[in-house]
Amino acid sequence: MNSGQRLQLTSKRPTEFIDVTPQLREAVAEAGLRTGRIHLQSLHTTLGLAVNENEPLLLADLEAMLKRLVPGDGPFLHDDFTVRTGIREDEPVNGHAHCRTVLLQPALTILVEDGRPVLGRWQSVFAVELDGPRAREVALQLEGDFSSAAPTGIRRLLELELERQLLADPEPVSLPMGRLVAAGGKRVRPLLVLLTAQLGPKSDPLRSATLAAAVELIHTATLVHDDYVDESPRRRGAATVAAEEGPERAIAVGDFYFAKATRLIAELDEPAVTRTIAAALEAICRSQIDDVELRGGYPGDEDSYLRVVRGKTAALMAAACTAGAQLAGAPAEKIERLRRYGELMGVAFQMADDVVDFSESSGKPLGQDVRERVLSLPLIYATEDSASGPEIRRLLAGPLPDEDLKKVVELVAVSGALERVNGEARDLVEAAVRELDGADLDGVRDELVEIAQAVVGRDA
Amino acid sequence: MTRIVETELEALDGLWESGLGEAYGAYLAGGGRPETALAAALVEVAVRLQGLGGAAASPPDLLRGDLCLARASRLLAQNAGLTQQVAFARTIEDAAAAAAAGRPLPPVRERLLEALAA
Repeated sequence: MNSGQRLQLTSKRPTEFIDVTPQLREAVAEAGLRTGRIHLQSLHTTLGLAVNENEPLLLADLEAMLKRLVPGDGPFLHDDFTVRTGIREDEPVNGHAHCRTVLLQPALTILVEDGRPVLGRWQSVFAVELDGPRAREVALQLEGDFSSAAPTGIRRLLELELERQLLADPEPVSLPMGRLVAAGGKRVRPLLVLLTAQLGPKSDPLRSATLAAAVELIHTATLVHDDYVDESPRRRGAATVAAEEGPERAIAVGDFYFAKATRLIAELDEPAVTRTIAAALEAICRSQIDDVELRGGYPGDEDSYLRVVRGKTAALMAAACTAGAQLAGAPAEKIERLRRYGELMGVAFQMADDVVDFSESSGKPLGQDVRERVLSLPLIYATEDSASGPEIRRLLAGPLPDEDLKKVVELVAVSGALERVNGEARDLVEAAVRELDGADLDGVRDELVEIAQAVVGRDA
Repeated sequence: MTRIVETELEALDGLWESGLGEAYGAYLAGGGRPETALAAALVEVAVRLQGLGGAAASPPDLLRGDLCLARASRLLAQNAGLTQQVAFARTIEDAAAAAAAGRPLPPVRERLLEALAA
């Protein structure tokens, strides 16, 4: 049993459906729960729980239904302060919210299989605010079979180091970055650092944690800028920094953490590590420019896609593995194997990520990458399909309103492209794991294999 | 234009003429070696290109600014010592923090010239 966790939520509207599915996935991954159950319980009398589809118009329907069943103007005896006794000075007028809460559930149990919450294609888990805006808590317990390989100790060390680094920074940058970091994320790159940094004679957990946190800050800073470039409204179930605080703040936050991360790495005083990360950072930025330029010829071709992905995603994965091993003073041959492992896995990771864009339960709007004309391998393959391709190309040539986007998503699904991309991603993961064969990996091999295998078949 | 500058301007067309060349000359005159002077010039241009302290850059300019910062970081990693790398990073951190807080930016060129002399 993994107990005592609390999901910290902040609602912004009187009635709000807050999708907590990404946080649940994160909690399961962090705890290493393979098979079992997640128990959630609201700790408030005006906050309910629900499982339903995260579709904005449906959520508006559900909100309207709650208001229709329990109109806000009552009357409610709970709000009659002339007859109620023992009321506080700041007692809210919220009889309607209490009554609406009983229409929802105070607690939920979600099954977990293969390390993931068992949710149908259209299902998301919501905390339903009925008397906001407020800070809220939902209690969380996990039970079942936990992976023996789950690196909970180093994950905790990473989270503490991230918190420590953010505490030292000015609030205008640390608050938005802190929200994004706290909202979750898979932490694949820093975990790769922490694992590979155990593979040499100079292994040092604290220095490894600093490098890992810096790598995660670089990754997160790129997301902050990407979200502005792509005009993405949401990330990890919350508003993006650009959407919430404006593009000026988003640019400054990204720049601050690019610079801070490179300083933290420089201060480790391992020139090889500094050069590795700096080269990866340049590859990422170069490929971002390519990515945007290639949107002119959308959806592009496989070669262009692979060139962009090697820079955009694989470069930092490979650098995380390389730099961790370099920091530990691992031998050159082992470092090179780890670099190839990271690169292969990075490409697989992006392919799997592309597939997730076509999944309803991803926590992101369906087809967001297509809407933003981000390169996507399933879409490239689908346009090559003789049956679906011409229609997809016709739809992509237009302004792509919601109904056309939905049609594109459906055509990609029936074209077989998702299965093809998933198959190729699995092949790359197998190749990545083969790179680990024969290398002396001092007990972290299982964890590296587990991370690689978790890359494929995910739905978020 | 020196050979180092030519090779490092890939994907940054037009920046040399619109301020990068002038900044490079100033940092070179301020005592920087070609590689570190170019790094300083790239940082200065990135700050301007991205609109730090002013209106937000367009997405293409933001990405070009990011590439300038990344290339400067790589040039420093290859050619500068720890003290200079840290001083450069601190300059960007201070400028970005000031921009995020709505305060005037610190004098970037002055700070980078100090960093080159460190």
